[in-house]
Amino acid sequence: MRRKILVVTRSEFMRRVTSKTFIVTTLLGPLLLVGFFAVTIMISLSTLEDDFDGPFGATGMLRIGIVDETGVLGDRIIDQGAGGNATLVLIMPDSLDNQMTRGDVDAYVRIPAEMITANEQPVLYSVDGDARRVQWTLSEAIEWALKDYLLAENNISANVRAILDRSVFLEIFTNDAEEESSEEVEAEEGYYILGLTLGTLMYMGILIYGTLIMYAAMEERTTRVVEVLVSSVRPFDLLMGKVLGIGLVGFAQMAVWGIMIVGGTVLASPMIGLFVDPAMYDLPASATNQEILAAAEIVLPSISPSLFIWFILYFVGGYLLYGGLFAAVGTMVDSPQESQGLLLPLMMPIVISIIFMGPIMIAPNGPLAVGLSLFPLTSSVPMITRIAIGAAPYWQITLSYGLLLGAFLTSIWVSARIYRASLLMYGKKPSLKTLVGYLRSG
Amino acid sequence: MNSLILQGVTKCFGKVTAARDISFTATSGRILGLLGPNGAGKTTTIRMIANILTPDEGTVALDGRNVGQWSQEKMGYLPEERGLYKKLKVTAQLRYLGALKGLGAQESAGKVEYWLDRLGLTKWGTRKAQDLSKGMQQKVQFIATVLADPQLIILDEPFSGLDPVNSELLQEIIAEMKQDGRIILFASHRMEQVEQLCDDICLIANGRLLLGGDLREIKKSFKRDKLVLEYEGDVPFLSAMQESGEVQILEWREDGCVLQISEDCNPRALLDRVLSIPGLELYHFEMLQPSLNEIFIQTVRDEA
Repeated sequence: MRRKILVVTRSEFMRRVTSKTFIVTTLLGPLLLVGFFAVTIMISLSTLEDDFDGPFGATGMLRIGIVDETGVLGDRIIDQGAGGNATLVLIMPDSLDNQMTRGDVDAYVRIPAEMITANEQPVLYSVDGDARRVQWTLSEAIEWALKDYLLAENNISANVRAILDRSVFLEIFTNDAEEESSEEVEAEEGYYILGLTLGTLMYMGILIYGTLIMYAAMEERTTRVVEVLVSSVRPFDLLMGKVLGIGLVGFAQMAVWGIMIVGGTVLASPMIGLFVDPAMYDLPASATNQEILAAAEIVLPSISPSLFIWFILYFVGGYLLYGGLFAAVGTMVDSPQESQGLLLPLMMPIVISIIFMGPIMIAPNGPLAVGLSLFPLTSSVPMITRIAIGAAPYWQITLSYGLLLGAFLTSIWVSARIYRASLLMYGKKPSLKTLVGYLRSG
Repeated sequence: MNSLILQGVTKCFGKVTAARDISFTATSGRILGLLGPNGAGKTTTIRMIANILTPDEGTVALDGRNVGQWSQEKMGYLPEERGLYKKLKVTAQLRYLGALKGLGAQESAGKVEYWLDRLGLTKWGTRKAQDLSKGMQQKVQFIATVLADPQLIILDEPFSGLDPVNSELLQEIIAEMKQDGRIILFASHRMEQVEQLCDDICLIANGRLLLGGDLREIKKSFKRDKLVLEYEGDVPFLSAMQESGEVQILEWREDGCVLQISEDCNPRALLDRVLSIPGLELYHFEMLQPSLNEIFIQTVRDEA
């Protein structure tokens, strides 16, 4: 690497990591991050759990009256229960009005007598919409009660019942092409999480540090330092150093955060334990994180070393490419306001690559998946997902990464041309035509 | 002896020719003044010397070798449009700019200290550039230009925004560097400064070199056509001379006048006539050398 790139990289890195802003955000970042994850985990757990007493579920106990006109299903239904923090009570039709007015029950279900013989359906009457949350569980309980009664009535043997209770769940296995062994790969959600993590990391990294790169390129022009700089260093070296330097600031900050989070979870009580009650899964209070996670059926994808390396490589590549593009935007505009119109289309490809993750996972070797994972602006997220699934042939990975690096160098080269040309445009509104003219002559 | 030689340098931007066939030589131990109206092509020419732009035609050579990356380290450039990183401390700023010119960390530290002291900025070294007054920032920019001991120094309007005391200080330093054998290019609109500082000049207008060479020679080549007369008494024939077109009275003063003399007028004969006026006391009779400003205006006007 040329010496001047190093000089610029070091300067850009040092002046930022020694700033108060950097130190404060680096220290406060994990707190915000933990807060963010805490809220996310709480929301998802509260919707996963059967009982809805989480902070974001409906609160309070529901009392649901069962008005059983058949005389045979009521007890069965109550035995089965409806979950969702609801209590089922059997009530007589004639005492119904009283109980409702007194507020003894919040809702009631009428089980019509014709349900057994004909196919008449039960109906739930509710004062407010709260009882809606037990619609599915209660339906299942009633259905089970009905079938249980009918099977018993028809003297169906235990054997047949056992047959009827059989169920099938299709598991998915993938061949790991490199290790040539068949190993269970995490549930589909695992790939999704991997792709999403990369997408989110890139999106956040680019948003934070890309903007820094843009401002840095812009600052040199608005403060007029630029002319002294280009009389000392080639614009390509200058912008390369800038993107690498500020890129390193981002990595340094993320590394510190990573260490703090890992250290924090090891030292402090396990984070997941804060939100999941071991008792909920019939585990002793002393259960380890892994045991709780296993019981909660939260599968964390286990990542092979080669996948991990590709993950880092694609993150770095994508991050640098966008850094170069942000630098290009910075060399074109004179104020953050002017950049708005250019940034939105620039961020679109990442968003698109995240949006298309579903179709990519369904057809990981389809034209959409292959196309998106080769095109440098979108390649990172789809390609890492495809590598994880084991769908990407080696030549595609190599080609995709080559294109990514080529696009990165091109972005710096173009930025450098514009940077040099912009010297000639002080005080002029850059039109595309003059810009192209200067690019040619610059 | 070191030299900077431009030969037939031309640069076009689209249909506009910013510099056309410009040739001149700047030598060490001399200051060359680049003069020209706004938009004349001075900055474009300087940028080609600084290897920021590449000429479409012609060559720019320092010590016989075409300028390039290598020459940038041997050159200090103070552009007219200049600035500093606002939030960076003065010392850090100078060290960075020094490092870009190839200065090592230790070497740079010593030089930064020396120059801050020389320009009375030592206690401002740890402050951010935005805390400095405009004049102080100018001085920091000047330090950045000379920090790496450049062999070629290009100063574009170096005194703008400086008070007389600091202008004087800078002039002193520039004079030292000239003594030291550096090649110095000085671009300015301020004629009196160019006249005072420069040994050679290049006058550029509309992208072309109109006039170039040793300043004294150039001034000599322009005729002395202005006459200052100071006397006590009355010179009766002046009005008649003005009417006949021999002279033109440019200015009446309390004790005399300034005349523009035409080709038909012989100054020596005029002096004899004045001296022969009985009772007239003549104190001062001087044929004035045209000022650089007049040469500039006349040359540009003739060209147009």
